[in-house]
Amino acid sequence: MATARPGWSRRAQYGLFFSFLAVIAGIVIGLILLAVSIISPKSFEGIRGAALDVTGPVASALHEVAATAEGLVTGADDYWDAARQNGELKRERRALMQRMVEARAIAQENQQLRAALQLRQHSRDAVATGRIVGSSFNSPRRFAILSAGAKDGIRESMPVRSADGLVGRIIDVGQLASRVLLVSDRASIVPARLLRGGIPVIAQGRGDGTVEVRPLEVGRNPFKPGDLIITSGTGGLYPPRVPVARVVKLKDDGAIALPLADPATTSFAIVEPPYEPAAVAAENEPATEP
Amino acid sequence: MVRAALSSPKRFSQGPTRFALFVPAATVVASSLLAALPIISTGGWFPDFGYLALISWRLLRADPWPAWWAAPLGLVNDLFTGYPLGFSIALWSATMLALDLIDRRTMWRDYWIEWMVATVLIAIDGWLQWRVTRLSGADVPFAMMLPQFLISICAFPLSAWAVSRVDRWRLGR
Repeated sequence: MATARPGWSRRAQYGLFFSFLAVIAGIVIGLILLAVSIISPKSFEGIRGAALDVTGPVASALHEVAATAEGLVTGADDYWDAARQNGELKRERRALMQRMVEARAIAQENQQLRAALQLRQHSRDAVATGRIVGSSFNSPRRFAILSAGAKDGIRESMPVRSADGLVGRIIDVGQLASRVLLVSDRASIVPARLLRGGIPVIAQGRGDGTVEVRPLEVGRNPFKPGDLIITSGTGGLYPPRVPVARVVKLKDDGAIALPLADPATTSFAIVEPPYEPAAVAAENEPATEP
Repeated sequence: MVRAALSSPKRFSQGPTRFALFVPAATVVASSLLAALPIISTGGWFPDFGYLALISWRLLRADPWPAWWAAPLGLVNDLFTGYPLGFSIALWSATMLALDLIDRRTMWRDYWIEWMVATVLIAIDGWLQWRVTRLSGADVPFAMMLPQFLISICAFPLSAWAVSRVDRWRLGR
């Protein structure tokens, strides 16, 4: 398809015609694949996972390089500033010692109270931990790439959290890396509740790094700026009592909240098994059970 | 002229590099791989690097690669960027076709016309991405696509410049 007029050569004319057909075929194949991947997003799991195994380790390596460079710069800076930092750290240490003693006392008291209430500590085993090494920075979707995959036991639709709060859930799994649907993606809906009062709410991503929270019951807007949203455990996928977001702005029928776990500053993300796998499986495959 | 004659004699080994035929496609794949950069952003403001490289090459030359290569290149872009599979395959093939049709119509072109064509193509890319995102269950407002659109338009001259440098290198000029 190089030039508009291939001249009198039959061969060149045929070549032009066939390359035209090939491009049309490319468009048609592309549209079919696109339709399939919109209608049933799980159809290309294998090939998407394989691609993740190519990009995941590259991203991990580059992430290490960036972190090292950053460390060197801040390290040099710290050295320069050593004397002042030393004094500050000593002061901090003294303050922390006092806080630690207080904390120990509180922990003891907590233990006693727990024993009194016979509360069972609900500890859950993590499937794997990984670093968040990349993101979908050129797409309206909000995905992140996690540096752990099927080799570490990660399966699709496992919840991902960090020390700060809920990060999202797994949607694509490769052997070495996986893709996370962040809570700020528009397609992510987290059943949650308000920490203050326990009113059930729905947290849906807005696609720009924030989430929109709406109360399940229509009525008065229950939110106040600064309110914490935690997962409710409804639906069986996300475990309950994981912090999700903090309300920053009120709207007519809800509020806009900022996720507590910022993927950019999350050093380690923890992948957990689905909270109630049976409930999730039943929800995902209603058609198979007659 | 005089200066050129006085300068050192031209190298005899001058000529296209060995893989000159595959360099353009390789740069497009490399641009798609930029999606693996460890940038963790909560807004999708970065341009679609693969598509920018594709249209830069295609606007620079009519035959950077056989037209049907757009489909496999698009597949690579889809896999690396996490777009729904098939999106770039269809869009990139259609772009090759559209630019061939434009080539037949236009009598002359200059830098501004190329930039305008690129702007239109980038806008179509963004709009289609938005539509497909809505279809796949994430109805983001269209205003969210605008920063990416503006940044992509500003990034096109850079990409076109880089591509023209690579082209000169590959042809050994």
